Amino acid sequence: MRLPDSVTGSFLVALGAASAYGGYILPPVPGQPVGPNVFPLVIGIGLALCGLAIVFGIGHTFEEEEELIPLEDGQTAAAPPPQSKLYGLRALLPPALLLFYVIAADRLGFIITAALMVYVTSTALGAKWKLALPLAALSPFAIHLIFGKLLRVPLPAGLLPTPW
Amino acid sequence: MLKTLIEAFALISTWEVIIAMFAASVYGLVIGSLPGLSATMATALLVPVTFYLSPIAAIATIVAASSMAIFSGDIPGALLRIPGTPASAAYADEAYAMTRKGQAELALGAGVWFSAVGGIAGVLSLMILAPPLAEVALSFSTFEYFWLALLGLMCATLVARSSPVKAIAGMFLGLLVSCIGIENPGGVPRFTFGLTDLFGGIEPIPALVGVFAVAQVMRAMLTPEPPPLPRRKFGSIMAGQWKLTKKYHWQMTRGNIVGIIIGVLPGAGADMAAWVSYAMSKRFSKEPEKFGTGHVEGLVEAGASNNASIASGWVPSLLFGIPGDTIAAIAIGVLYMKGLNPGPTLFTEKASSMYAIYLMFIIANILMIPLGIAMIRVAAYILLAPRSTVMPIIMLCCAVGSFAIGNNMFGVVTVAAFGVIGYVMEANGYPVAAMVLGIVMGTMVEQAFVTSLIKSDGSILPFFERPVAAILAAMAIGALLWPVMVWVWRKVKPVRTAVATSR
Repeated sequence: MRLPDSVTGSFLVALGAASAYGGYILPPVPGQPVGPNVFPLVIGIGLALCGLAIVFGIGHTFEEEEELIPLEDGQTAAAPPPQSKLYGLRALLPPALLLFYVIAADRLGFIITAALMVYVTSTALGAKWKLALPLAALSPFAIHLIFGKLLRVPLPAGLLPTPW
Repeated sequence: MLKTLIEAFALISTWEVIIAMFAASVYGLVIGSLPGLSATMATALLVPVTFYLSPIAAIATIVAASSMAIFSGDIPGALLRIPGTPASAAYADEAYAMTRKGQAELALGAGVWFSAVGGIAGVLSLMILAPPLAEVALSFSTFEYFWLALLGLMCATLVARSSPVKAIAGMFLGLLVSCIGIENPGGVPRFTFGLTDLFGGIEPIPALVGVFAVAQVMRAMLTPEPPPLPRRKFGSIMAGQWKLTKKYHWQMTRGNIVGIIIGVLPGAGADMAAWVSYAMSKRFSKEPEKFGTGHVEGLVEAGASNNASIASGWVPSLLFGIPGDTIAAIAIGVLYMKGLNPGPTLFTEKASSMYAIYLMFIIANILMIPLGIAMIRVAAYILLAPRSTVMPIIMLCCAVGSFAIGNNMFGVVTVAAFGVIGYVMEANGYPVAAMVLGIVMGTMVEQAFVTSLIKSDGSILPFFERPVAAILAAMAIGALLWPVMVWVWRKVKPVRTAVATSR
């Protein structure tokens, strides 16, 4: 997901301009020289200036590249991940599952939704079904016990209510 | 004073506080020791739990979990060469080299002992520094508060290990996020795009959980699993620590002082303290050639330093509501939530609560020694937990925890969105800590800025008229402009040398 600095910088310029414009069109407070419009204006201009500086490479020399620590003997290196074009999209799985929780939790209930989320994440991280399945079956109950029962967070019952 | 102290003792000697503190300590030790789960993440995930606790118990959990997590990050650093938290990264190589030399006990023992000593030194600094500073702070007007807040934001960018321009951009992004909602000087909906969910603004806590926890799960999806821990049996953990304390007492003291100073600086946290102290230790050592080969000196200094910074990081947080580091940023959120609004008056009006916080820090650091030793002994089993079992549960906690904050699903959407934002920012060299500080401090900065502008009738001059305000302004503007100045200097320098050589 590494983008060129010119792309991120230009995005910031656009965002800064949008913020400044958003601030500019806000209604002022009658009889007062400053209102809710000033802060977004200042931030917008600042953001746009930073974006410009990034596009032109100012400050780039300060960036430190992350050092890779070589493995010692006795430690086995994990296989390098396959680098297909779509591989990077795997990173979007956690936020996608969180949105799934938002949509499904009320209908399916906490236990079923949570079990599905745990199973999918666990399998995506390389767990075999022998590990992922019991984890998905048990962990939602444990979390429900802590948050739902002890801390009284209202978690939806849906299709599968908990015994407590 | 004695009466306040007795009141503070009464506040913390309830079963709720004791159980909360013990549970949070164990939790902090476990999360800190798991590679990839930072102390900040441990604290952020704890916040939803604090809703259901009394104010003192809530603060106790934050204090205990953060102190323990910073120490326990040393454990996988020493055993696996993978620091559990970024604050242990500075000396993970050194500690691992000691383990390879068969001195794992000495390295881990130094971790637990000097962390506890550093932590206590940090609390002492909090006790000594905060009250007189509070008296000075009482004379501050909104002008000083504005510059101070800006300076706090700038400090975060100065110490970021990335491009300062990107850090400043991250800070502006955070400030922009804090603009969302109707809580602004005009009380009008701002950047809400007609969505009622956005009227209340973006809460800092789901944003924090998103950028620190969800983004970490996202990164785990693409990185290979760390290698498993080789089995080993430990001897006595604390053996030889007293000898080390006597031998390296000056290094320990210096580590404590540096940690305290870095902690007090807004924005610079335990990570920075550890790096600076380790570098100083090497620089001033009588045997610098031993560094990197498994030498305990750097561990003593940096281990003391990162824990000292945790407590002293609470000084600007409690006094001005300006977080010393990201953990303190979370703590500020909890303080506000529990009615202990940060500010100099906290020390006069809620003195017993203040003393209770000091006492909790001291207890947490004493508790660190037995619990830390126990943790080192069971670490081998905890570190065996594969990432595919830990990460799904973290994610579930993110979902439930963010829902619990407002009892609505919008919190979960916020967490998911900030997970993506944090991931993209980190991947492109934009420090997320700067954005987090922006989000936490945005409302305060705007309030100070707009109130000052109203007072001055739109004029900029009064921002520089009071002497303290002028000094703070000079520092903040200097911090803002220095990346540009360094850039210009570097551009001019080659031209000068070229001219000189052509002569």
